[in-house]
Amino acid sequence: MTDGYRQQPGKGSDVRVDGKRVAGKLRFNPPGSGGSRPEMKERDLDFIPELEGGNEAQPAGSHLHDKYRTGTTVGKRTPLVDANAKVTGQAWYGDDVRLPNEIIGRILRSPHHYAKVISIDTSKAEALPGVLAVSTGEDAPQKFGVLPVTKDEHAMAVEKVRHVGDLVACVAAVDEATAREAVSLIKVEYEILDAIHDPKKGLLDVDEPIHWRGKYHIGSTNVQKRVFQEFGDRSKLDQSSATHHGKWKFMGVNHGFTEPHAVVAHWDSNGRLQLYTPQQVPHYAHRALATVLDVPMHQVNVIRTYVGGGFGGKSDPFPHEMCAAILARKAGRPVRITFDREEVFWVNRGRHPSHIEVEMYADDDGRISGFEIDALIDGGGFASFGHVTSYYNGVLATAPYELGSFHYTGARVWTNKPASGAMRGHGAVNTRCAIEVGLDDMADQLQVDPIDLRLANLLPPHSKTITGFRITSNGMRQALNRVREGSGWDEKFRKMPLGKGIGMGCGFFISGSGLPIHWDPNNFPHATVHIQIDMDGGVTVHTGAADIGQGSNTAVAQVVAEVLALPIEMIHVRSHESDTSPVDLGSYSSRVTFMNANAAISAALEIREELLNSASNILEIPVEKLILNDRRIYSKRNPSEGVSYLEALHKSQEDKGALIASGAYRTPPMGGVHKGAAAGLAPAYSFSAYVAEVEVDVETGLIKCTDVWAAHDCGKALNPLAVEGQIIGSCHMGLGQVLSEQMVYGRTGHLQNPNLLDYKIPSVHEMPNVTPIIIESCDPEGPFGAKEAGEGPLLPILPAVVNAVYDAIGIRVNDLPLTPDKIWSAITKKMKLEGIDDPQNLPPPRLDFSELQEKLAARSSEHNDRDVRRQRAEDTEPYINGVLFGFDPNTPPEEQDGDWKISVKPTSEQLDNLRLAGSAWSKIEQRKMEDGK
Amino acid sequence: MLTPPFELHIPSTLDEACSMAAMLVESGEEFDWIAGGTDLLPNYKWHINTKPHVISLANVSGLDNISTNEIGCMARLHDLAEGGNCHPLVALAAGKVASSLIRRNATLGGNLCLDTRCFWFNQTEEWRSSIDWCHKCDCNTGSDCRVIPNQNELCVATYQGDIAPTLMVLGATAHLIGPNGIRKVAMDEFYQLDGMTRNILEKGEFLLKVTLPSGVEDWIGSYQKLRVRESWDFPEAGVAAAWKKGDRSTLRVATTALESIPRMHNEEVAKSDGNIALLSDEIFRSVKPVNNTSLPPRYRRNMVKVLVKRACEE
Amino acid sequence: MVGEEHVSMLPQAPTKIWKAEVNGRQNEILAPSNAILLDVLRDKVGTLGVKRGCDMGTCGCCTVMIDGVPRLSCLTMAFEVQDSKITTVEGLSEGAHLAPIQQCFAEHGGSQCGFCTPGFLIVSQALLNENKSPTDQEVSCAIEGNLCRCTGYQQIIESIQAAAAINRGDVEPAKPASEAHSNPHPSGPN
Repeated sequence: MTDGYRQQPGKGSDVRVDGKRVAGKLRFNPPGSGGSRPEMKERDLDFIPELEGGNEAQPAGSHLHDKYRTGTTVGKRTPLVDANAKVTGQAWYGDDVRLPNEIIGRILRSPHHYAKVISIDTSKAEALPGVLAVSTGEDAPQKFGVLPVTKDEHAMAVEKVRHVGDLVACVAAVDEATAREAVSLIKVEYEILDAIHDPKKGLLDVDEPIHWRGKYHIGSTNVQKRVFQEFGDRSKLDQSSATHHGKWKFMGVNHGFTEPHAVVAHWDSNGRLQLYTPQQVPHYAHRALATVLDVPMHQVNVIRTYVGGGFGGKSDPFPHEMCAAILARKAGRPVRITFDREEVFWVNRGRHPSHIEVEMYADDDGRISGFEIDALIDGGGFASFGHVTSYYNGVLATAPYELGSFHYTGARVWTNKPASGAMRGHGAVNTRCAIEVGLDDMADQLQVDPIDLRLANLLPPHSKTITGFRITSNGMRQALNRVREGSGWDEKFRKMPLGKGIGMGCGFFISGSGLPIHWDPNNFPHATVHIQIDMDGGVTVHTGAADIGQGSNTAVAQVVAEVLALPIEMIHVRSHESDTSPVDLGSYSSRVTFMNANAAISAALEIREELLNSASNILEIPVEKLILNDRRIYSKRNPSEGVSYLEALHKSQEDKGALIASGAYRTPPMGGVHKGAAAGLAPAYSFSAYVAEVEVDVETGLIKCTDVWAAHDCGKALNPLAVEGQIIGSCHMGLGQVLSEQMVYGRTGHLQNPNLLDYKIPSVHEMPNVTPIIIESCDPEGPFGAKEAGEGPLLPILPAVVNAVYDAIGIRVNDLPLTPDKIWSAITKKMKLEGIDDPQNLPPPRLDFSELQEKLAARSSEHNDRDVRRQRAEDTEPYINGVLFGFDPNTPPEEQDGDWKISVKPTSEQLDNLRLAGSAWSKIEQRKMEDGK
Repeated sequence: MLTPPFELHIPSTLDEACSMAAMLVESGEEFDWIAGGTDLLPNYKWHINTKPHVISLANVSGLDNISTNEIGCMARLHDLAEGGNCHPLVALAAGKVASSLIRRNATLGGNLCLDTRCFWFNQTEEWRSSIDWCHKCDCNTGSDCRVIPNQNELCVATYQGDIAPTLMVLGATAHLIGPNGIRKVAMDEFYQLDGMTRNILEKGEFLLKVTLPSGVEDWIGSYQKLRVRESWDFPEAGVAAAWKKGDRSTLRVATTALESIPRMHNEEVAKSDGNIALLSDEIFRSVKPVNNTSLPPRYRRNMVKVLVKRACEE
Repeated sequence: MVGEEHVSMLPQAPTKIWKAEVNGRQNEILAPSNAILLDVLRDKVGTLGVKRGCDMGTCGCCTVMIDGVPRLSCLTMAFEVQDSKITTVEGLSEGAHLAPIQQCFAEHGGSQCGFCTPGFLIVSQALLNENKSPTDQEVSCAIEGNLCRCTGYQQIIESIQAAAAINRGDVEPAKPASEAHSNPHPSGPN
């Protein structure tokens, strides 16, 4: 045992030979101890994996991190570590930052869709008493943008304004009234240009494209990005037994976070910029600020405030952040800019309005022989994340099903609207809806149950998709089975009376993006976490991961607490400032739990090793025979033979002071080599299956979603409370898109509903009863097996509702949102067509199984055994997309089949047969024109 | 968001309020009344028809009484809906207005005098500048109507109050008070086209209270509201029907949210002679919604048929 | 282009003294005649827990209790509620102790990003003051004016019901998963 803590240094007994105590060598509790919980708790075996001697079942097999489980917090319903700040009103969001001497900034915005800025006269504004700074685009000529390849934004208009609400100038004044008045005094002369609102027109050559990309510009169109992909053998598609053709229109939707954007900029006494902003991705804002303000990054400190909801809408570097910094520099005082709700809609970055066409094929064995997808997405005035969105609309449809072929053409065009960008389920949501509805239709044609059709066509765990994505864990099958059971599917599907319906849909999403957006410096990690423990035993975790309410601080605290076997209250996460936080790429693409928690685990493991070594040293017991549990390290055989955490810690700190460790995460090398192969690559993927029940009022067309069974495979729920919150919240957001939310651009192209009354986010009354079902497939590379749960759960709700509406009234409407007028129109049309005079007499769809049904059931049962073996690593043979069609899993299909294609560019024959978005390929890039081609 | 500057006057008695109004009228100063503020304040924040003076009725005592036969203008919709003291049909409609939170502020008077709405109009000053202004509120600009282009004579903004049609079918009377004393009009005569005029209130007047005829407790009926969300949303169409218990020949029907004023449909009721299918067709033919709310006018018009049928169900 | 129609923001309205008790503390503040309660609370009183989400009554983030009634502060004229008792989210807890409603929102996932939470807490507290055992339907009606974009409301309703149960004395407040005051130098088993 340790000698304990004494008043004086030195070893030896505190009792003299004659039995008297030595005054100067009294034992006392170690400094830093104290508190009302002086006893160790017993190990919580319910949260220790069974293969490690606990009671937690492991149906999906063991995990690399199992041996670091201490039963402390992982898997337990854990309140957010910052919840108390939120329920007491102490959480400080963007507009809550109040610095001494602050002044108020306002932005002058364009009243025109598209115009050249001829002149700006700011003299009257500058002369208004109380105005301290005025700025225009001239002050910030540097371009920026979230993606390095498509920097096309300015702090304020340089040359042109590109949509109503685009930034033109800004002012800072002593108060809001003066600032608002000053803005109205700025006179701008515009030359109005021909605006484009319809994305289809964006495909055409025009005199004045919204942006000009020089030699890379595609013709003189407004096409910002085009994608062509062809994989597999499409030659036999015309022999299919079922085909589905769906032409879809999706309206744009906005994130609708409750906190409007707000920013405070302050140049401190050393001339460094302190910028307070509710950012999901502070690091990219950091980079852009340095560029635009022309200062080195080390002279900028980005302070992430609490974020009142992000959902992708606070992940671009924003022009108003630049404006605040410019105004503050000019005025020499802190400047706060807070948006009105309308301005939130003008900066937008919501989901792209889209025209999507899908053609889908199934053969007589009920195998999916082809997906053909064409997506024209409306990017609005700027590129934002659009380069990536253009790929995601296709490639994220390549799983969870095994495909005979895959063909995707996509184009993103600029229009004179607020920019679209990344929103929860980035790029995957709309196409997913279209193909899941297509599968429902094909199941109808084949006369089989749509769940069985899916179960018989799933890619197994540890396989490769047709475009080369590496799938690791895969809980799709369990998810489907659980929702089928939970919802009573077999008793309800195609059996309910008119007006009541049940439908299902699946989802597939990335858990972190395989490639970071910024590749410099090379081999830089995606996430880094620092842990620091001083003598008091409190664990300070520094991370740059942005907690936007999803609970990333909590997840990091949990994994550190778990590894070190400390109560979560001893873990203090510091994630607000770029000065103290290691670089993290931010909260997007559902990467935070996967990457940041992995980095945190690797840092915590370093600390754990030090503590174990010290304990081993003191106890003279080898490290392998020690156990960590609730603030103590002790012998496996005899729990009373041990040291406290603090004793071990202090031993480790001898001669060096605070323990400091750094952990990082980088994705493993993976993916194919074709152009665009990196888009959609992720170290893991989430899977989900939902069943929704709806009631449709056949007279009014109003849809009410009553129940949802929502199964999501998140690998391992580090915090089931948070995972369920994400699932239910995703249902709410997805329901909004499928039933009521839309950004309405009227006949003049103006956004008609930039407020929360007319932009219809579902209220509590529209919310169905959601039963969240967590599937744990234990991802081999995820932290304790975890994968994402923040975005994937949104995908299936859309098609589930659309399919349920079909089950209820036998009508498919391919135009979201399904507002009552559209449903009513469709009902009226059908009644006319079929000579029905009362909507109550509409025939609801019914199903008689064909022979194929049994065949599919048999195949899925076979596949079930296959998947269990693969999941538990009993079968480690490679599996590539195509095995279902008879290919050898060890040889790439292109080497086995002469007609197998991998192509990222249309051939000259294909050029004549392109669909809507694909027609962007009929234009020639400027540089090729110069070559004379 | 700030409103443009105005001076708020808060009288504590009815006399004080009236003399304040008279004084402002006399001195030629423009002003608005404010009751709950849920309609006026968003408009003011967006610089819509703001005035330099606003007289608040919040602290005038005695205006919030609620009984079956009389409701004061400052009765909060929450109290109408939940209090159990007014006619059930009025309570039903009041309970369907906006959200439970709005109903805590909103008043009967405010709801009856609700400004007409239009998505070209209910926008910020900045927004309206982008469409070259709206002739309902930016009158000095001489701009055209955006709903029916090439004219600036008529305003077709839509009246989207929920309670007015129920009061109409119950035969209520509006009591208006102003510099010239009190006058009474039948509820259905209170409203007056067009979307800018809205009602017959004269300068300095406000709606003091609503009375319902004796025997109204024997009347039953329904109010049907078409909306996408069961909270927040204004009616996209609304139909109220009432009849004396046991006597369908007394049926009265009124509609709202389809035109610039709510309207009784006595003629259509008379024509259809108790045939509800016929009645819904007649009313469908008589209303002409325009495209200035969330849902398309063709749909709203067609829904009138369904709503009439449902409202008249016994 | 037709004429311009800008309503001038200046000069600002005349100021007056605004008096009210906010969270038990008497305030006397100079505010313009046309001041809206939300602006006064955030900018003058300093109760920044009152949030501005939509500024037109459609999100409920700015809800405060005025003489016990939940009201939208963005649609309330400050001078109309002179001399009233106002409770904001900052006034819900009893000293350092969270009120049950606050504790339950934290523990049952009723708060994610937290921006709408102050409004929900005020509305819920007002409901529970009036109705000790609300049904789920009654809870839904009470919170129908509050917008939450994160939770999908379900865990909010659970939080409110859990708080109601604690208030009624049906259940003991749940012990936090992690207790404060952990001694980093604990004793082991004997």
